[in-house]
Amino acid sequence: MTVGPGARDGEIEAFVVDRYLETLLAREPRGAADVATEVRTTADRLVQDLPRFHPSFRFVDDLAARLATAAAGPRDDPGRLIGFPPIPVRDDRPAPVRPVVIGGVLTSAALSLAGAAYVAWRRGHPPAGPMSRAVRAVARARTA
Amino acid sequence: MVRSALRKTTRPEAAARPHLAHLDLDRALVEAARADPARFDALYRKYVAHVYTFAVYELRDHHDAEDATARTFLAALAGLPRFRERARPEDGEGASTFRIWLFRIARNVINERRRMGRRRPEAALDPELDAAAPDDLEAAVVRRETAETAWRAVGRLRGDRRRAVVLRFVNELSTPEIGAILGRSDGAVRVLIHRGLRAVARDLLRSGDGHEGRA
Repeated sequence: MTVGPGARDGEIEAFVVDRYLETLLAREPRGAADVATEVRTTADRLVQDLPRFHPSFRFVDDLAARLATAAAGPRDDPGRLIGFPPIPVRDDRPAPVRPVVIGGVLTSAALSLAGAAYVAWRRGHPPAGPMSRAVRAVARARTA
Repeated sequence: MVRSALRKTTRPEAAARPHLAHLDLDRALVEAARADPARFDALYRKYVAHVYTFAVYELRDHHDAEDATARTFLAALAGLPRFRERARPEDGEGASTFRIWLFRIARNVINERRRMGRRRPEAALDPELDAAAPDDLEAAVVRRETAETAWRAVGRLRGDRRRAVVLRFVNELSTPEIGAILGRSDGAVRVLIHRGLRAVARDLLRSGDGHEGRA
């Protein structure tokens, strides 16, 4: 901690004050005589009077739990840790054929002519899979 | 917001500093947390009140300070694999580059928060002091009044002058640590603090609570 030869008076004074603060914060004040009275008294007062704050214990524990959950997650996914949605990755491969969920498909498909045509075509060309047979059985039971 | 806070703390010029990790106060805790993120809890418990206090002084609202504190630690945990110890000899014994890094994240988070806060009215906050001993109520009242006066005087300082005074007198960080947090030279921090002290002295004198009236 040094002051160069080009230092101005203000910088030298600031340097002297800083040295005093160093000792003051170490609870062994020295060099008080070198510091202007109003600066020294104000420094003494701020050290003594400025309040410290502590968050509520509930907040501390809640945040500790959030951090523990985040720490238990995958290491290479910081976005997930801090609550950002994952960035979608573009995939040019053809979309896989998803299982048909009857209620959802009928509800959304009924909103468009294309959807209605699709449902009509689907009824005329029932797939042979076991899931499809089960779905048709459920539909027949509902309409019966 | 948290990502931008992290990005600002991992700038290339910081990476160019000499690597002198042997001085770092928190080295063991940081290494333990790197090996097992669950052990980040020790660093969190050590610094949560420091970060929260800094946030309260900057934001002047307990709820905003809690939010800023949470974002700071979540960002620190997420960014810990990229953190590098860079203690310098001039930082002195007991320096912690983790603490500097953490406060830089906090500063960025708080700055974002302050920008958001300008769009709504500022919430008033009085410092909540420790409960007084029942047999010393008069001293407690005096202590509360002097603390509130000091709190308000520091709150009237502007920008980095206020931050430097708070980090020096409340968080009790060294001048080089404050310089690293604020991105200023040691000399500039000393001048900031000196001018801050003079401004607070004038403020206290104007409000009739100057040094001449105190023991």
